[in-house]
Amino acid sequence: MALRRKSVYAVLYVVLAAAMLWALLPIVWMALSSVKTQVNMFSMPPKFIFAPTFHTYREMFSAKGNFGEFLTNSVVVSLSTTFISVVLGLMGGFALARGNFKKEKGISSWIISTRMAPIPAVILPLYLMFAKAGLIGTTTGLIFAYTTFNLPFALWMMATFFKDVPVDMEEAAMIDGCGKFEAFRRIAVPTAAPGIVATSILCLMFSWNDFAFASVFSGRGTQTVPVAASLLISQHGIQWGQAMATGTVIIAPMIVCGLAVRKYLVRGLSMGAVK
Amino acid sequence: MNRTTSAVPIVSVAMAGVLLALSACSSSSNTTNPSNSQPSASASANTSAPAGSAAAFGGMAEGPFEGWVEGLPKIEAPAGFDWKQFSGTQLNFISENTPPSSALAANIGIFEKATGIQVNIEQSNLDIVAEKVGLDFNARNANYQLIYADPYQILSKQSKNLADLNDFNNDPSLPHIPGGLEDFIESQLQADGYMGDTEHLYALPYDSPTMVLAYRKDVFDKYKDQFQQEKGYDWTPSANMTWDQYYEISSWINDKVKSGAISEVKYGSGHEAKQHDSLQADFSNVLGAYGADYFEGENLGSVGAARPGKSLLTSPEAVEAATMYKKLLDIAAPGSKTWDWTGVAEAFAAGDLAMAPIFHENNAMFEDANKSKVVGKVAWSILPKGTKRSANLFGGTGIGISKYASEKEQKAAWLFLVWATSPQAQYMILKSEEAGSTPTRHSVYNLPDVKKGMEPGTEEAKAMPNLLPMNAVLEAWKLENVYMRPKVPQWPQVDTIIYTELSKMLFDKQTPEETMKAIAKKSDDITGN
Amino acid sequence: MPQLTETFDRPEQATAAARSRGRAKGSRTEFWMLLPSIVVLAIISIFPFLFLIYASFMDYSLSIDAPSFTGLDNWRRVFESDTFWQSWGRTAIFGVAGLALELLLGVAVALLLYHAPKGRNLIMTLWMLPLFVAPVVSGLLWKYLLDPTYGLYNWFLERIGIHTQILGDISTAMPAVILMDVWEWTPLITIIVLAGLQSVSQEPLEAAEVDGASGFQKIRFILLPMVRRMIVVALLIRSMDILRYVDTITIATEGGPADSTKTIGYYLMQVAFRFQDMGTAAALGLTMLFVTMVMGNIFVKMMKKGEG
Repeated sequence: MALRRKSVYAVLYVVLAAAMLWALLPIVWMALSSVKTQVNMFSMPPKFIFAPTFHTYREMFSAKGNFGEFLTNSVVVSLSTTFISVVLGLMGGFALARGNFKKEKGISSWIISTRMAPIPAVILPLYLMFAKAGLIGTTTGLIFAYTTFNLPFALWMMATFFKDVPVDMEEAAMIDGCGKFEAFRRIAVPTAAPGIVATSILCLMFSWNDFAFASVFSGRGTQTVPVAASLLISQHGIQWGQAMATGTVIIAPMIVCGLAVRKYLVRGLSMGAVK
Repeated sequence: MNRTTSAVPIVSVAMAGVLLALSACSSSSNTTNPSNSQPSASASANTSAPAGSAAAFGGMAEGPFEGWVEGLPKIEAPAGFDWKQFSGTQLNFISENTPPSSALAANIGIFEKATGIQVNIEQSNLDIVAEKVGLDFNARNANYQLIYADPYQILSKQSKNLADLNDFNNDPSLPHIPGGLEDFIESQLQADGYMGDTEHLYALPYDSPTMVLAYRKDVFDKYKDQFQQEKGYDWTPSANMTWDQYYEISSWINDKVKSGAISEVKYGSGHEAKQHDSLQADFSNVLGAYGADYFEGENLGSVGAARPGKSLLTSPEAVEAATMYKKLLDIAAPGSKTWDWTGVAEAFAAGDLAMAPIFHENNAMFEDANKSKVVGKVAWSILPKGTKRSANLFGGTGIGISKYASEKEQKAAWLFLVWATSPQAQYMILKSEEAGSTPTRHSVYNLPDVKKGMEPGTEEAKAMPNLLPMNAVLEAWKLENVYMRPKVPQWPQVDTIIYTELSKMLFDKQTPEETMKAIAKKSDDITGN
Repeated sequence: MPQLTETFDRPEQATAAARSRGRAKGSRTEFWMLLPSIVVLAIISIFPFLFLIYASFMDYSLSIDAPSFTGLDNWRRVFESDTFWQSWGRTAIFGVAGLALELLLGVAVALLLYHAPKGRNLIMTLWMLPLFVAPVVSGLLWKYLLDPTYGLYNWFLERIGIHTQILGDISTAMPAVILMDVWEWTPLITIIVLAGLQSVSQEPLEAAEVDGASGFQKIRFILLPMVRRMIVVALLIRSMDILRYVDTITIATEGGPADSTKTIGYYLMQVAFRFQDMGTAAALGLTMLFVTMVMGNIFVKMMKKGEG
């Protein structure tokens, strides 16, 4: 039995390793290329061993490269919209899951349909609205624009999670004299923690990666990292070194962040507070 | 239980911490690297006198801008003109991300110091520039006062939203275009500046990339005799070369590479034939060479028209050109079908190609040892001839002013335009370390050091690498050699049809004749013919 | 308008929900908790939607700022155009193949991670990295990997005797962009499904263990049904985004070669941004919206069927 279990695990890890290779080889190659000279980047056969240079990074973070500004914009916008969407989504999702709305089907159907908007077609009406409100080229405008896709997502994710969470404990708390909101805050939210973390990470990711809105609604000074990346393509060539360095810089924080929240990222409820 | 509630803040805090640390690095390098924002030493060496001190001829006084050199027309304003009257005004200039705009951004201090006007230069890809300009006009917003008005994607559609620059140039109280309109290269002024007629001037020529033939001088010298013996003519690219010869030379090199006799390059020729604007540009060179064009109509390439005539692509010349183009691509480097203008230039820089039609401003990359294996080995010629002529596609752009900006902003924008397109600013862009574009001004090409820079091997050629192709390019700009795309509002759509159908042709999904017919039919549909 | 809400009603929970509702003192608290979200979404969705309907009857083709009324012209042009139907055909291939691979791989990795005794945190952290490589950069990265002159993957392929221009050949470009999508987005499915697995109660599993169920049986009959809802949400999100987002295609192939990767999303982007023909774009956009809704509905129904 033990032997069989062992071999099952062996197979499991072999498959996981293959999946990792598929996912990570491009990223490793990207990181390696970002510390190559341009000549090394283009040498054939590919070079795996070379003298690294951090020239590209120095250039990016110089006054001229101005990458720090792009990065700051991305961080501010992504964190703000994630925070807004997850907080609103938590409350709204809980309400959808537990509430007794007459038109619940219609409401949640409409909510998710707001996330289906074909972006290139709705850019013009949104632009007109934003221009009226003076939001073009501002960080606030971008946060608002990102909420259009993050909020419906957060609402749906959280509603789904709360539906899967047993209501017994909330009821017990309410019998003990807690208000409904108290029960939500003290019982439901902690129980749905894995869902909250997953939702936050994905909201962060959607806004972190967005190009369609950022390219139109940001201006000089509020451009985000994906816009900066698109600027590396010009009539006079693609700046491959910088593209690879940009890719490396934008995923580096995610490694740190992923490790920081790993406890919440992968944890069964059985180990959590509920049981 | 409370531990779990804090999951969200932890994500945020962790993220913020990491990223603040990263952005902190950037701000520290900001302070250690101030030299970047300084104008290049050579440009600022000749500082012109401040306004008013040199009371000049005809009641004109020289503008207070650094960078003027002997031999260039001066920036002048009516005597007593206050260059600082718009001080504090903020202007937004939306531009394609091109080397001249980077060079301008790096040297914008010269203008800001002289006028007190602050200019924000926002750079994006051309498609996004066109989109944002369209949206800005639609909202009557004037978020951008200064517009990079690409003749084909922006000017042709948006001319009525741009201010008439004649109003400023003829205003006796304002500075005028230094050296006058005649100092601009005429074909460029027409393509970049006008739309429909020459009554209203909408933009001033700013950059000027043009397709010419880049070739490997080392290869063409080394095997010259062998080729002459086998084929009986001198194969050095020149104004006399035809597309048939180009084909023959390219196949000959391919054969020699296969047999191992030539190892300097991998293929005879390469093209920018990805399903992209570049494919249309590459094809236009051949189309024009056979005397064909896209539409019926007068002056479509120069001043343009609101509505073109019927498609001319079913003409025998057009079909002949398409057949030749297909032939050329069948023997071109196989990567050609994945390359746009960037891709073909990179392949050339990697040393893979013996020759290729390329936008001339890529020479800066070819002469940069960090990016290129062909430093010192590149020479340029105008493109081969067809049955009619040599046709070299022009890809330059002008800058215009939004009509929806306030009067004060428009005047401030005019001062910027006067400076940015002035001979001295164009010269500065040419010499900048961004290796900016080549000037749109006759007067700059007459400067002695610029003339020297066009000859290979000189000090000046090293300092201004984009001058090397200029002998070929100046030839290409002559009215008989230049190819100007039709400037019509429907162009973005028709262009897309052209390169999409051509791409199908290159993959043998349809014959050249069917391709031309398909484009003609669909484009007539769009133009309403 | 199709109803997408069936996910919220699962038979085995119906009684629990009814109990909770019965005891609630009305829905006042919930109403106030939901209101802010509704207001925000209403602001950003109602005007654009009405505008789309308006614009689809206007002619923007000559000038973006002064449209004129054209009746059903845009709609007629859209439905008569070959490009429209061909783009939908390619979108179907792209979407079905992409979603199927992502779902398969994503759920498989989630289950493996759920069962892995060690290293889950690290593996999950690494596995989700492709998600954060912005699609713009991812497009560039894949272009670089597949470049015929200096691409690493191209070099590997040549070692094993494949000498194709992956992105420059009509037969390989589509599979390549599908795989790019799979590379980038599979972790999204994994994250959502794994989060669902984490929330699953352990009791049924333990009971099954006592009854001597095999590992496969536990997955098939207990775990998967319990996270079915999460799978539907993941699939729904991915299916709407796979239609909408075209950043990678834009960078890697721009719809080529010979239109072989021109999906409906890319076509819409071309019409809206490149042609600035907002009327046609609005009509195209509304058809996309309609298809997305129908599709969402089908997913939800499919899942319900499997349940019964």
